Amino acid sequence: MVDNLLSVKGLSKSFGSGKILDSINLDVGKGDVIAIIGPSGAGKTTLLRCISFLERADAGYMAFADKEYSLHDAPRKDILDFRRKTGFVFQNYNLFLNRTAIGNITEGLIIARKMPKAEAEAKGMELLRKVGLEDKAGSYPSELSGGQQQRIAIARAMASDPLMIFFDEPTSALDPELTGEVLSVMRQLADDGMTMLVVTHELGFAENVSDRVIFMENGIVVEDAPSGKFFSEPEKERTKEFLATFIER
Amino acid sequence: MISERLMDILIDSFWNILLPGLTMTIPLTFISFAIAMVIAVAVALVQFAGIKVLKEIARFYVWVIRGTPLLVQLFVVFYGLPNIGILIDPFPAAVIVFSINEGAYSAETIRAALEAVPKGQMEAGECVGMTYLQIIRRIVLPQALRIAFPPLSNSLIAMVKDTSLAANITVTEMFMATQRIVARTYEPLALYIEVGLIYLLFCTVLARLQRIGEKRMGVYGR
Ligand SMILES: Nc1ncnc2c1ncn2[C@@H]1O[C@H](COP(=O)(O)OP(=O)(O)O)[C@@H](O)[C@H]1O
Ligand SMILES: [Mg+2]
Repeated sequence: MVDNLLSVKGLSKSFGSGKILDSINLDVGKGDVIAIIGPSGAGKTTLLRCISFLERADAGYMAFADKEYSLHDAPRKDILDFRRKTGFVFQNYNLFLNRTAIGNITEGLIIARKMPKAEAEAKGMELLRKVGLEDKAGSYPSELSGGQQQRIAIARAMASDPLMIFFDEPTSALDPELTGEVLSVMRQLADDGMTMLVVTHELGFAENVSDRVIFMENGIVVEDAPSGKFFSEPEKERTKEFLATFIER
Repeated sequence: MISERLMDILIDSFWNILLPGLTMTIPLTFISFAIAMVIAVAVALVQFAGIKVLKEIARFYVWVIRGTPLLVQLFVVFYGLPNIGILIDPFPAAVIVFSINEGAYSAETIRAALEAVPKGQMEAGECVGMTYLQIIRRIVLPQALRIAFPPLSNSLIAMVKDTSLAANITVTEMFMATQRIVARTYEPLALYIEVGLIYLLFCTVLARLQRIGEKRMGVYGR
């Protein structure tokens, strides 16, 4: 495919003697929303972290927005460049604890991008409005619920007008009654055409929002299919088993 | 019980002890502590960031300073260095020793505090495109200094008392002033208790300030 936004080739990663990712290949088209599912320990988090250079892969490279990156030894300049074109949403939000909601959003704009303060703040307010939290602009993370923190984390990831956003189980740390508000912000983002790679246990999101679902286990991609097909007629036995355990619950 | 003569001595000496307290003990403490903080932040950051050669130097510095008595350090600088032609006046010599000494202890406090800041803070900063130095300066260090505030306040209070050791290198701070009055009046018990109470007063004020400081910056936003 020519019009892939992200294309990962041969990504491998071990911790000690354990092979966590085994030569992963992954293509993401512009505007795609892809859900990655799989049991705990499958390597999903490690995959996102290696792509985002939070973890250094043992091997592999990727093309992103027509630029090549080594996943093993990319120079700092490339890493910074990649990060300024992408956003990352963590499982446990990781909001800057010493910044208010609006400060969390503007920090990267003002400091990393040298955007004038007033402009950054206008943009921050606009994003807070988008995630429904404009009245919380002055609140610190410690004063906000998990769901509110995660919505602000999403706004922060959107701030730099990224080409793509990575999500690592964005609702897993939340009380069940708070997952809805975060998922609806993500759905909105998907509807707006954002390219998203989402590790999730929310099969509803995978089925209804994502275009494609990837099932990972033991460091490999077991199945990669359009979401309709993935849920209605999965090819691999293992996928069927996994889905069955989910539906039982 | 307390004779009139003793009462007079205590009252007369009070000002004569307090004055060097205000002009020597307190400035010695605050100047030394301020310099110590600069040293400590630098030494802690060098270790936290794992900068190759500097990290080894920092470790060596902390090892030597923490492993030798403060009194010995004072003597080396004031009585020892003149041997190789380096003469330093008592007050600056005391400032040098106290700041270098406190710098080593506080460096460990701040290093521990830097490590106590959740890892995710650094990663979040990386993911919004900030450089390592930007994240340290704006996100990690400010949080670490808040964590370190109570133990550092403790160190400051300890230092007020430790400055009495400067009497040994002829700095006329509170304790030396008291010793001189004792030599004239032969009332060691009453006078040493008196100077002790003045130290207590200083430390009480600082402890109060610490509590106010902690309340004002306990947790962000609370
Ligand atoms: N920093 C690390 N050091 C050692 N082992 C790790 C580290 N990070 C992850 N692992 C291991 O890698 C495996 C995959 O982890 P992870 O990518 O978090 O899986 P998932 O997100 O799918 O649950 C797990 O067995 C985990 O114990
Ligand atoms: Mg995970």
